Amino acid sequence: MSDDVLVIGGGIAGIQAALDLAEMGVQVHMVEKLPSIGGKMAQLDKTFPTNDCAI
Amino acid sequence: MLDVGRHPHINLLAYSEVEEVSGEVGNFKVKVRSKARYVNEDLCTGCGSCAEKCPTMTVDVYNAGLGNRKAIYKYFPQGIPSVYTIDAEVCRQLGQGKKCGVCAKVCQANAIDYEQKDREVELEVGAIVLATGYDVFDPSVIPEYGYDHIPNVVTALEFERLLSASGPTAGHLDRPSDLALEVEVEGLEKEHKKLSRQVKQLEEKHGKSSAEVVEQVKSGSAGDDKDLSNWASLAEKLNGVEARLDPMKRKLAAARSAKKLAFIQCVGSRDFRFNKFCSSYCCMHSVKEAMIANEHDNEVSSSIFCMDLRAVGRGFEEYKLRGGKQSNIRYVRGRVAEITEDEAHNPIVWYESTTSRQVLHEAFDMVVLATACVPTAGAAKLAELLGVELESNGFVKTDPLAPLNTSRDGIFVCGCAQGPMDIPESVAQASSAAARAAEVVAPARQTAAAAS
Amino acid sequence: MAEEIRIGVFVCDCGSNIAGYLEVSELAEYAKTLPNVVYVKENLYTCSESGINEIKSAIEEQKLNRVVVASCTPRTHEPLFRGTCEEGGLNPYLFEMVNIRDQCSWVHMQEKEQGTGKAKDLIRMGVAKAALLKPQEPIESPMDPRAMVIGGGISGMTSALALANRGYQVTLVEKAAELGGLLLQLDRIGPSNTDAASLAAKHAEQVHRHPKIKVFTTTSIDQIKGYIGNFNVTVSTNGVQEEFGVGVIVVATGARVLKPVGLYNYDGERVITQLELEDLFKKRAFAAKNVVMIQCAGARNEERKYCSRICCMVAIKNAIAIKERSPETNIQILYRDIQAYGTENEELYQQAKQLGVRFLKYDQAKPPKVEDGKVTVYHQLLGRDLVLPVDLVVLSTPLIAGEDNEAISQLLRVSLDENKFFLEGHVKLKPLDFANDGIYLCGNAHYPATVREAISQALGAASRASIPLSKDVMKVEPIVSTLVDEEACRGCGLCVALCPYGALEIVRTEKGRKVRVIPVACKGCGVCAATCYQHALSINSYTDEQIGQQISAFLETGTEG
Repeated sequence: MSDDVLVIGGGIAGIQAALDLAEMGVQVHMVEKLPSIGGKMAQLDKTFPTNDCAI
Repeated sequence: MLDVGRHPHINLLAYSEVEEVSGEVGNFKVKVRSKARYVNEDLCTGCGSCAEKCPTMTVDVYNAGLGNRKAIYKYFPQGIPSVYTIDAEVCRQLGQGKKCGVCAKVCQANAIDYEQKDREVELEVGAIVLATGYDVFDPSVIPEYGYDHIPNVVTALEFERLLSASGPTAGHLDRPSDLALEVEVEGLEKEHKKLSRQVKQLEEKHGKSSAEVVEQVKSGSAGDDKDLSNWASLAEKLNGVEARLDPMKRKLAAARSAKKLAFIQCVGSRDFRFNKFCSSYCCMHSVKEAMIANEHDNEVSSSIFCMDLRAVGRGFEEYKLRGGKQSNIRYVRGRVAEITEDEAHNPIVWYESTTSRQVLHEAFDMVVLATACVPTAGAAKLAELLGVELESNGFVKTDPLAPLNTSRDGIFVCGCAQGPMDIPESVAQASSAAARAAEVVAPARQTAAAAS
Repeated sequence: MAEEIRIGVFVCDCGSNIAGYLEVSELAEYAKTLPNVVYVKENLYTCSESGINEIKSAIEEQKLNRVVVASCTPRTHEPLFRGTCEEGGLNPYLFEMVNIRDQCSWVHMQEKEQGTGKAKDLIRMGVAKAALLKPQEPIESPMDPRAMVIGGGISGMTSALALANRGYQVTLVEKAAELGGLLLQLDRIGPSNTDAASLAAKHAEQVHRHPKIKVFTTTSIDQIKGYIGNFNVTVSTNGVQEEFGVGVIVVATGARVLKPVGLYNYDGERVITQLELEDLFKKRAFAAKNVVMIQCAGARNEERKYCSRICCMVAIKNAIAIKERSPETNIQILYRDIQAYGTENEELYQQAKQLGVRFLKYDQAKPPKVEDGKVTVYHQLLGRDLVLPVDLVVLSTPLIAGEDNEAISQLLRVSLDENKFFLEGHVKLKPLDFANDGIYLCGNAHYPATVREAISQALGAASRASIPLSKDVMKVEPIVSTLVDEEACRGCGLCVALCPYGALEIVRTEKGRKVRVIPVACKGCGVCAATCYQHALSINSYTDEQIGQQISAFLETGTEG
């Protein structure tokens, strides 16, 4: 039995899921195939509708 | 991103892939291959000296192929983990068998390790959350859009990189045809420099002008003198380069950033030939890009060619209207039949404006294809590994009344891995998947807490 | 003890958000000239890992005891920078953020010189305040591990079950007599074609049976006092009041379908809403032969600018349902855009067309005209008027904010948007949290959502709510009101009356009636401190002295004029 959780993917969805779980006290393992996390959102300039920068 | 890197409860395995999954809910065993960066993650400070000195350039995938990066690189500057990686395939030493080692020499943290091997990591977990995102549809399968051969037809992601301050053009809407011209001119100038130097050396050595030598060789009075004929051909080569270079440089000097943009919606989606589904966010994405482009340069005007302009989220309809009023955007209801190109590399869009019932064509500076969100290339393989079903479009299958559950107990999915959706939806779904996963593992925690 | 103030100023390019519109290097040079500033650095992205590390090293190497970052809005990265200062060994409240993006570069995009001048003023003010900042410690508060869900529709029930399944005690409060919400009025829901009433019943049964969920029906909320970790709720059922405590609250109060009185000759009989059509289905009373559905009826107009997201799919689902019951019935859907986003919806749209449902695009400027037995519409693509024979007109009207939204927003002291839907903390990154801690949001209460989306959001809200629930104590930011001069307080109670968060109360002390601050409820808005004519109350990190110093700094002409 394990109470760890594996999150596959380090884009915005993976990041949010991992943070929520971690904040609940759950140990999370995140696997991301690219050299860094951020996913497609890190490639965006700004996001609608607030025009915040995607970083 | 920073929060993930710093959180005590998150073990981040980047540059890694899942290779095997066995077991069941509450008790999964997962084998992960952590790929060799050839850089020691614990020692690397992310200072960048290695990349500065690395002699090998290659295409930058992060910048959607629009820029270059070194063989030792950081995927993007703010990336977490903030460490460098050697792309072994293009690296001189690791991939080409040549001698190099420059990065190791300049690294002050002694973080380079050419002997590093992939690591196998075994994890035991109670639940799995699939958040593998999406790939961008490749528009080269739509020949009438000319993506393959018209340089100023770009995908939405490429356009994002052009718009971005940290992108290959520092946010200036330079046209790819001009960028290519720049590269060509650079190359030619290098050649020109080299040839000029060689010719000058010969002129100084022999005290003759190249024109004389060329004349000699042409008229035949040079005879069999190999040196002279070499010199002559060098000189002619130089002239040739100059003749090409001058008009190109003039063209480059006259080049200006893109002012007239066209956005084509539903590229690869809502299309019986490729994907029938709607990619959800691309309408909004194009409106946003058009607005930002106008912010960068208020001479920019945009035409968005769509069927339905889907602005369904909170604030989206208002955003779309604002775009129309304040950012020089016009919305045209009509699918684009074809994109051609004139000699100045201006793409020409051929379309029907259905609301005015006219077939028209118009030249633009740049055309942005709002390419669809499609399942990742690795989706089928990963689904097999995990034992989860995919639906007919290739996304992970879920039940509309149990939207985070996959077909396998204990494995949940969120975000675009499940289907095209925008950021707030992905974020909300991610929290939902976390709730589901917590339901699986939390009872175990409570027993532990109760026991302690 | 005169401490030497050593301020480090970090000026951010923010990519091109700031550097594109202001002379950032000039700002950095200017910062060096300000009093108490010993170190200045310009960054491309101060929030990146390298930027953070620079702040930490500078604190150590330059022995900084105050840090000023001139960049974006505190709403994005102030917690990050505070955390960074803490990691660097500096009390996180000795940090001041100057917003030269939203409050400067973004609003002066065409005025580089003047924008830069203004940014200098802002930095000068920030530095002046930073010199007067005092260290603070976070405030701890107990966490009641129970939750309340307001609303017993699909969202509320899903959220309650999710939390209860985790082992948390949940109280579900519903104003109607039965659980189920809008589902009780629907026939079938798409895309699964599930019977709505059965779905509602199934969830209701699970909720009622769950040992960790206490259900109140026919109940309204009278009062909600307190703050995250310590809410005190008073409800009444048929006049009988009950009180209970919870740590977190989930708002799942749903929305109403607009009854378009005065629009398209709406009469509830021959011109009806989609909801009324669902009722006809349930009663098996549908008998029309020529149906015309009109989309965006009362939406996407001047009065209600928003798109209600689900109405196109409702129309399509109902059109398919009609064709299945009565294939000879003609159905024409008059639309402006068909919002069939995503994978499943687009498929249903295709299916409807294949079944013979006709879709006609109309122009917003020339809306259809509904008369007895016919609908006249200018077909935008054909360029002429069409007269459609009709015996039933169905108007696809938007979901509008629940009638209790204003009252609830006051009870909870949370915000509404311009359409009176509840406003989330951040449209992109906090879609399920309110700005107020401990209160969460899901379903139609937030914005029109399909059942699939509502379920997903409800689970998400439960996840967010369970984060504080999982902690033993709440740690709260100390930027709160403080009684700095007890002698001066007269106990007049004016501040208590004006506090929007219920964070102040008057208590009896040996020195007489005095005000007491409830730090965990306080949002540091400053109304009390501004009101108190005795200057007895002050906001930590926004003291009269600090603000006064900022104003003086602004007024001094300096070298830039």
